Amino acid sequence: MQVNLMDFWPRIWEATYQTLLMVGISLAAATLIGLPLGIILVVTRQGGLLENKTLFRAFSSVVNFFRSIPFIILLVAILPFTRLIVGSSIGTAAAVVPLVIFSAPYIARLVESSLLEVKPGVIEAAEAMGATPWQIIRRVYIPEALSSIVLNLTIATIGLVGASAMAGFVGGGGLGDLAISYGYQRFETDIMIATVLLLVLIVQITQTIGNFTSKKIRRQ
Amino acid sequence: MIQFEQVSKVYQHNGSDLRAVDQVDLTVHKGEIFGVIGFSGAGKSTLIRLVNLLERPTEGRVLVNGEDLTQLSKPDLRQVRKRIGMIFQHFNLLESKTVHHNVAFPLSLSGTPKKEIDQRVAEILEFVGLSDKAKQYPEELSGGQKQRVGIARALATSPEILLCDEATSALDPETTKSILKLLRKVRDEYGITILMITHEMNVVREVCDRIAVMESGRVIEKGSIFDLFSNPQHPTTQNFVRTVMENDIPASILDGIEKRGSARNIYRVTFVDESAGEPVLSQVAKKFDVEVNVLFGQITELQGVPFGHLVVELQGPDQEILRVINHIQQRVSVQEVTSHAG
Repeated sequence: MQVNLMDFWPRIWEATYQTLLMVGISLAAATLIGLPLGIILVVTRQGGLLENKTLFRAFSSVVNFFRSIPFIILLVAILPFTRLIVGSSIGTAAAVVPLVIFSAPYIARLVESSLLEVKPGVIEAAEAMGATPWQIIRRVYIPEALSSIVLNLTIATIGLVGASAMAGFVGGGGLGDLAISYGYQRFETDIMIATVLLLVLIVQITQTIGNFTSKKIRRQ
Repeated sequence: MIQFEQVSKVYQHNGSDLRAVDQVDLTVHKGEIFGVIGFSGAGKSTLIRLVNLLERPTEGRVLVNGEDLTQLSKPDLRQVRKRIGMIFQHFNLLESKTVHHNVAFPLSLSGTPKKEIDQRVAEILEFVGLSDKAKQYPEELSGGQKQRVGIARALATSPEILLCDEATSALDPETTKSILKLLRKVRDEYGITILMITHEMNVVREVCDRIAVMESGRVIEKGSIFDLFSNPQHPTTQNFVRTVMENDIPASILDGIEKRGSARNIYRVTFVDESAGEPVLSQVAKKFDVEVNVLFGQITELQGVPFGHLVVELQGPDQEILRVINHIQQRVSVQEVTSHAG
C-alpha cells in the first residue's frame, strides 16, 4: 500500500465537489417537485381542503410506484429518459436525473406527513375565517409545518448522499464512486478511509444544519 | 339573527344513515347569548358548524341575518364567514405566529393595510386583557390566555355573531369563569350575538339567556335558563340540572335518619323567586309547636333570581306538622320525601 500524495487530495476534493453538486442540484429539483406533490396529496385526500378521490389515488399510486423501485435499478432503467433530458447518459449531470426521480416521491411523502401534523382544527379555524384554499396552503399549512418539513428534508438529503454513492455506475463520480473504484477495487485503503470519513462529516454537518434551521424556524 | 328551520344533517356511515342533527328548529335573537347543551355525540358540534357552513345541512335551512348561506357562491360565503367569528375548545391558534400575528391573521386575509391591522390588533388585545403578550407565542401562554387570543382573533373582523365550540371545556373552573365573563363583556359592549355549545351546565347557567337541550340530534327542550333550571321537563334536562344543583339527599344523611328510625316527616321545600328571601322556616319554628331540622339544601342564583331548595325534617305531633305544611304551602312548594326517593 502506497500513498500517492500528489494524487490523493485533488482526487478527494474533486469527488467531494461532485457529491455536493449532485446532492445539491438533486435536492433542489426534487424539492421543487416533491413539495407541490406532498401538498396535493394532503389537500385532495378524503376530508381534505380540496377533496378529490380520483386525483388523490392517481398521485398516490405514481408516488408509490417510483418509491418501490430500488435506486440502482432506476438508475439504469431510465437511461433513455436521462439522455433525453441532459443529452448524455453518463457523467455527473446524468446522475442527477435518476436522483431527482428517486427522491422527489420520497420528499412528497415526507412533506405529506409533515403537513398532516398540522392540527385539523387550525385548518378549520382558517376556513371559518373565510380564508381561500390557497391562503390556507400558503399561510397556514406551510408555515405551521415548515419546521417539520425542514427536518424531513434533512432526512431526504442524507438519503441522497447515500444514493449518490451509486452514481459511479453512470460515471457520475463523487465520493462513493471514488471509494469503490480506488478504495475497494484498487485496495487503496487510505482513500477508502478518507472518503468514508468525509461522508460521515457531510452527514453530520447536514443534520446539524437541519436541526438548527428547524429550531430557528419554529420561532422566527 | 340565526334561524334553524327543520334542519337535519345526515351522514352516511357504513351504508346506514346517521342523523347527527335531526329536524332542529331554533331561533337565536340578536344580542342574545344562546346555549346549546348536550352530552358528547348529541350533535351540538355539528349544529354549530351548520351556522357558518363548515357543515352543509342535508335538509332544511339555516338563515343568518335572514340569508340562506347555502345559496351563496364560494367567494360570497367567505365574505359572510368574516362576519361570523368562531372560537374552539382547543383554541386552534397558529403555533408558528405570535399573539399579534394570530389576531392579525383574519384581517390580513382580506388585505387590510398594515397600519390599520396594527391599530385594530392593539385595540382588541387591550379588550381581552393581553396587551403585554402581543410578542409571545401561543406555546408560552396558559389555556385561559390562549382562549383570550382566540376570542381576540374572532373579534378582529368585527363580526355580528360569535360561535363558541366548547370554548371553556379545556379550562379549569376559575379560568372558565373569567372567559365567560369576557364573553358576556363581548355581548354587552359590542352587541354581538353569541351561540355556544357546551356539555357543562354551570357554563350555561353563568352566561346564557336561553338554552336548548340536545339529545340524539334533536332539541328536546328549550327555554329561558330560569324555566329549565326550576322546572326541567325531560329526564336528560333533569340530569343536567342535577350536575349543578344537587337534588338528592346525600346517602350519609339518609343513613343517619334511618338509624334513628324516623324516616318520615321529611319534606323538600322549594324556593322560587322572592320566596327565597323570606324567613319561612324560622317563622314556622316560632309559630308552631315543631322543631325544624334542616338536613340538606342549596340556594343559587339564576340570572339574578334566587332559586333553591331545602330538605327539612319536621319533628312534632302529626296534626301540628300538617298545619305547618298547609301554612307554608301558600308561600313555597312543599313535597314529602320518602326515604328511597330523592
